[in-house]
Amino acid sequence: MAKYSSALDDVFAALADPTRRAVVGVLGRGPASVGELAQTASMTLPSFMKHVHTLERCGLIRTAKSGRVRTCTLNRKRLAVVDGWLAEQRALWERRTDRLEQFVTDPEEPS
Amino acid sequence: MTFELDPDLDLQIDRVMRAPRTRVWKAWTDPVDLARWWLPAPTHCRVDQLEVVPGGAFVTSMSDDGVAFGPHLDACFVVVEPGARIVFTNALDSRWRPVSPAPVAMTAEIRFLDHPDGTDYRVVVRHADPASRLHHEQLGFADGWGTVTAQLAAIAEAPNGGQ
Repeated sequence: MAKYSSALDDVFAALADPTRRAVVGVLGRGPASVGELAQTASMTLPSFMKHVHTLERCGLIRTAKSGRVRTCTLNRKRLAVVDGWLAEQRALWERRTDRLEQFVTDPEEPS
Repeated sequence: MTFELDPDLDLQIDRVMRAPRTRVWKAWTDPVDLARWWLPAPTHCRVDQLEVVPGGAFVTSMSDDGVAFGPHLDACFVVVEPGARIVFTNALDSRWRPVSPAPVAMTAEIRFLDHPDGTDYRVVVRHADPASRLHHEQLGFADGWGTVTAQLAAIAEAPNGGQ
């Protein structure tokens, strides 16, 4: 639960920025180098690298360096984390209800 | 009071338990009992505050080793009808301070009804829209949580990258 919340928070925090959403959009077309991405973002490379790191830390993108070129790839599975929250809450309450039921019907438990 | 459910945001669980209503109520409102089932084993649960009155504090902590405890829930009761109904929310903490808990703010309503086999136990959990954080920051997604994922997918999969 805590792990899930944190993952959700990180993904949302990452997507809460127009530059980073644009990167997700561009990478939807396919992998791109950091240099190419920085050009479309029209900002300096050091500033842009911070955005790349944020996206990589939360798992939305993966990067790999080959020679002097760092290539970014979208991790589509990570986007799915934003969709699963209600199912996750339901599962949590179902399990909680299971445990309560077991507890109140356990003949070993003093009532 | 009863309110409509929003299928995109809310969940409902009905369960008949083969135990008397008084027993199920005690399992909820006795701190020793509550700690036994509130969290899944092997996680340890510590009930720090359980003032089962309207506005009363509902605070629980959790621990992997039973020694070092971290926060689990900091909430307060909204409605308490002894033996019959509990409503609590984590959108206000135990000191009534409005908060935005992760992953989502919720109000849970638990009803305890008599049933020929024991207790008709009903849970309704109403959630805030977790995407509201996005909306407030004007992130360019259309209204509603359900569309967020679709739009993200559309952005990610559009041939022109959604530009």
